[in-house]
Amino acid sequence: MNLILLLVVVVAAGAVLSVQAAINGRLGQTVGVLRSSLVTFGIGALVTALLIFFFEPAHAVSLLDVPKWQLTGALFGVVYMIVMVGAVPVVGTAVATVAVITGQLAMGMLIDNFGWLGNPAIELSGSRIVAMVCLALALVFMYRSNTRSE
Amino acid sequence: MQASSVEGVAQARPKRNILKLLLLPLVILAGMGLSMEAGLLGPLGEQVGHLWATLSIFGVGSALLFLLLFFSGARKGPALSELPRWQLIGGFLGPIYVVVLTLATPHIGIAMTMIAILSGQVGKSVLIDHFGWFGTARKRVNSERWIALALIVVALVLIARG
Repeated sequence: MNLILLLVVVVAAGAVLSVQAAINGRLGQTVGVLRSSLVTFGIGALVTALLIFFFEPAHAVSLLDVPKWQLTGALFGVVYMIVMVGAVPVVGTAVATVAVITGQLAMGMLIDNFGWLGNPAIELSGSRIVAMVCLALALVFMYRSNTRSE
Repeated sequence: MQASSVEGVAQARPKRNILKLLLLPLVILAGMGLSMEAGLLGPLGEQVGHLWATLSIFGVGSALLFLLLFFSGARKGPALSELPRWQLIGGFLGPIYVVVLTLATPHIGIAMTMIAILSGQVGKSVLIDHFGWFGTARKRVNSERWIALALIVVALVLIARG
């Protein structure tokens, strides 16, 4: 796929994600994080299953054939959620957000650089580092703008 | 499927205690877990198909959450059936995000995918405020937010150039 088009799609997915986070945040406040997440995951599974029935072409390999460790992705998501529920009231949203993004990017760089988990190895280049610095600065400016408007 | 959100970057009023220092490495580890999840998804999607990989996340996640809820006892708060319907549509948006993750990570890598996702979150909040999209009140976007947006565009250009 064309790289620029792909990038536009990923950025749009980020925007969609924050809409989803806003809706789920509201839901979580009234019914609790576990229940609101179960709704999200349950409906997500149903929608994905419907899409598979009607649109997914056949594949030679099925989910049952791959090594079991490849199926553990959801565990990390659920653990993340539980950690955040416990930690955010103590450390505060801002610190938690920075810590999560730091962990996310550090691990992302490690996996990319060494090609862990069967990913293609992408060496850490100057432009990738600068991209990360730009994001970090952008978050600093967002933070300052948010604190000032309060 | 969860991901960090930059929305709440500033509504913080942290308590100062030792627990905070102990929790911080745990939160960083949780963030690393998000990249692990994305790192597992990409290769899985290439093998079994992007939608099947997405189903593995939502299927396993639903099962785990159901068990957690089931064994964690009674909950207070209203039943889900009493809530306004629109609050339940988050479930339709989640799969979009996961499918895009499986599509993108093999091509641009996990770190850059995460940057692009975060850019989308920052960009969305700046543009919604500026143009008053989705029925929100139109607010003047201050210069700091425009600088943030500009920095993000630079980051995305750098990723696109490889």
